[in-house]
Order: sequence, then structure tokens, then C-alpha cells
Amino acid sequence: MSPFDQPHHTAPTELFTLVDVCVTREGKLILSHITDHFHEGRATALVGPSGSGKSTLLRLLNRLEEPTSGQIYFHGSPLDTLDVHLLRRRVGLVGQQAVMLAATVEQEVSYGSPGLPQSAVRQLLRRVNLDEVSLDQSTSGLSGGERQRLALARALAVDPQVLLLDEPTSSLDTKAAEAVDQVIKDLVREGLSVVLVSHDLDRAAAVTDDALVLDKGTLVDRGDPRSVRYLVE
Amino acid sequence: MGETANIPSWLGVATSVLLVLLAMAVSVRDRLGLTRELAVAAVRAFVQLLAVGALLLIVFERGGLVASFAWLAIMVVIGGFVAGRRARQLPHGVHSAMAAIAIAVGVTLGALLVFRVVPTTPEVVIPVGGMVVSGAMAASALTLLRIQESARDQRERIEARLSLGLTAAQAFAPEQRDAVRTALIPTIDTTKVVGLISLPGAMTGLILAGVAPLEAIRYQIVVMYMLLSAASLASFLSAKFSHRSLFADGARLISMSPSAATMVR
Repeated sequence: MSPFDQPHHTAPTELFTLVDVCVTREGKLILSHITDHFHEGRATALVGPSGSGKSTLLRLLNRLEEPTSGQIYFHGSPLDTLDVHLLRRRVGLVGQQAVMLAATVEQEVSYGSPGLPQSAVRQLLRRVNLDEVSLDQSTSGLSGGERQRLALARALAVDPQVLLLDEPTSSLDTKAAEAVDQVIKDLVREGLSVVLVSHDLDRAAAVTDDALVLDKGTLVDRGDPRSVRYLVE
Repeated sequence: MGETANIPSWLGVATSVLLVLLAMAVSVRDRLGLTRELAVAAVRAFVQLLAVGALLLIVFERGGLVASFAWLAIMVVIGGFVAGRRARQLPHGVHSAMAAIAIAVGVTLGALLVFRVVPTTPEVVIPVGGMVVSGAMAASALTLLRIQESARDQRERIEARLSLGLTAAQAFAPEQRDAVRTALIPTIDTTKVVGLISLPGAMTGLILAGVAPLEAIRYQIVVMYMLLSAASLASFLSAKFSHRSLFADGARLISMSPSAATMVR
């Protein structure tokens, strides 16, 4: 069976497995000997101060970056043996800034899946609590929080199993951030797996079940986000 | 080729040195700090043109077509270096530019020669080839520069597209289109206003040499069309070739450090 059409299991199964993953860039160690796993159907936080390697770790999971050594598995298959385009459709990523790719809301949502019927677009907008915007509204007029939720809808439109979120709320005010957090929580409840990068453990704890704490490229703790050690210098 | 009445004599050239002195005087008076550079530029122009003139004389009289095409090949190589080095951070920028310019020149000049629009003689291949190379070079340089800027500044946008499962070519297509459009604007604008704002080089040269204006413009029309084709091809191919080197295996956009890139400008 292909790793892309795994059924949902009742017991937590390993979604991603990392074995001794190291990343070195221009002689600098970014990630050092990371061995861990992410469970399916759960929300996992990657927390740590800036420069701890958490964003790099996230970007390894949809192959926007490659490890210098070590191996990453998706549903037990080595990541580099899978078709990268198919992998990225199953492992969506939404960045910090939520860049808009199209002129209107409808085009934006269906960017990765052209020809998506309007009813599906509307349904996706409902899933991210954006039912109030009209389909032909210009994306440039949206607020930061709306753009972030629209980017989530765009990622959901290609039907991913996992969403990778890189500081999705760090550039938003509290109210907009809470609205995005609520959408993330709802998506996890629907069965989507989420890996969320954050420098703010409290914020991450509100939406995730597990936390991996990184510091200077090393995994320093992992466990319940309310009890892990995370020292901000 | 003897001297024509319309061409300045060597004494005339010597007299025109006064104009360089005038420019230098401006620099001295306003303390522009350009006096030395003006002198160097004037001397360089003199020496370079003298060398080219002598070389052309030899090629026309003894080298024939083989030497002319060799000359053209050297121009393509130099053009490739100049255009490719505009975008130092693009991997294989020089190769992309050189290949693009070579194909653009080959197709454009080749068509003119094959269809006998212009005769296949050294007196045509070298100057007309030179015009094609410089047009292709300018378009290629602008394209590569723009591609490099996009790959650096539009990284989030490109990676957002990649993250939706788009191929590298699809994810970079809007930036590539934008680069080619931008690179072609100067050529298209020049073509639009030709004759209105400036009398272009080929036509000016022919008129100076005593050719009737209505005949001179025929040459110029061919030259303009040739430049449109050469610039379009060179720009399109530069974008095509260079965009491949922007992505590593697994459709990953390579990283470019912003600090080093600003040095290019």
C-alpha cells in the first residue's frame, strides 16, 4: 500500500519518523542528531528560541530542505523515495506571512487544485471560518488574520493528511491569532495531523498535544506541552 | 576601401580630441573627480577601435567567412560572460547566457543569411552579427538579473506554490514570465520609437556613407526585426536555462544569501 493512502488508525501510528537527522549549512550545524517521531492525527508543536532549527526541521518534512545526513520516513517510507509533488500534496505547509498567490479569494483557494467547484471552495472557507468573504473579493484587501486562514483553506484544498504550520499566528494580533488557533484546533479534531512551529510555548500549548523542544539544533525535551522544559534566555 | 568624402580624416580625429578636453575641463572645474577616468575612457576607445579596425581589415582581406564566424563566436562567448555575470548568484549563469545568446544569434542571423536577406560576406556577418549579439546579450542580462532577484525576493511565494505540489517549472512560471516581459520592454520600446526619437545606428551609418535614406531604412527595418527576434529568443532561453539551475533535486529552491546578492547592483 502506498504511504499516501494510509487509512486512519485507531491507535496512534507514526506519521513521520526521524532517525539521526543532521542539517549543516555553510559549515554551521543547524540540526544535530534528531531522532524522534510524530504521531498521526495529533497536533505536535516544535518550540524553541529563534535559531533553534525548528523551522528547518519543519521544512525537512515536505522536502523544502534536505537533511545533510540521517533519514526521515513518512508512514514508514523514506521521504526521498516518494514522489515529491505527491508528498507535498499530502503534507501541506503554511508559512508565517501567508503570501497570496492569486487575485481573488476563489482563485486563491483553488490555486493548487484548479477547477475546484465553487461549492467546494465555499465549504473550505467555512472550515476556516471565512464564510463572510465573497468568492470574488480581492485577496489584497484582506486582513492578516483572514489571509492566514485563506492560506489554510488553500492548503486544505489539495486534501492533505498533514499540515505543517510555521509560526502561523506570530505576525497577528491576539484576536486574529485566536481565530486562527480555533481553526487549527477544529482541523485536528476532524482528524488532520498538524506540526506547528512556535517560539511561544504557551501559545502552542493551546492547540497541540505534544511538544518537541529544540535549542541550538538539539532536541532538549519532548512531551506534554504543558510540562516540557523550555527556557527562554 | 579608400577614404570617402563623408568620413573624417585623421586630422579631423585629432581635432575632435578637443571635445574630450572640453569634457575634462568641466570635470576639473566642478571637481567631479572624473578627469582621469575621462582620459582613460577616451584613450581606451581609441586603442580598442584602432585594434578592431586593423583586425577587421585583416579579416575582410584575408580571413574570409571562416574568420568572420570565428569572430562571431568570440563575441557570443564575451556576451555570455557579460550577461551571465550580471547574476552572480545564479548557478551556471554564464553557461545559461552563453547558450541562450548562441541560439538566439544562430537562429536570427542564420535566417537572414539562409533566406539571403543579407549577403553572406564578412562585411555583413561581423557587424550585423555584432548587433544581434549585443541585443541578445542585453536581453539575457536583464532576464538573468530579474530571475535572480525573483528567486531571492519571492522565495516565500515560490515555496508556497511548491508546497501545494506544483512542479518547479509551474511554481516559478509567474516569475519567469515577469522576467522575460521586463527584459523585452527596452527592445520593444526602442522599436516603437525608432525614427521618432533617434536615428538608429545602421541607418545612420549608411546615410553617412552616402546611401539614399529610403534604401538605408530598408536595412534598418531588417535590423530592428532581427533585434526583436534575437532579444525575445535570448530572454526566453536564458529564463528557461537558468530556472532549471535554481532548483535542486526534489524541486527545492536553492538558497541565495541576500548580502552577496546586493553587490551585483
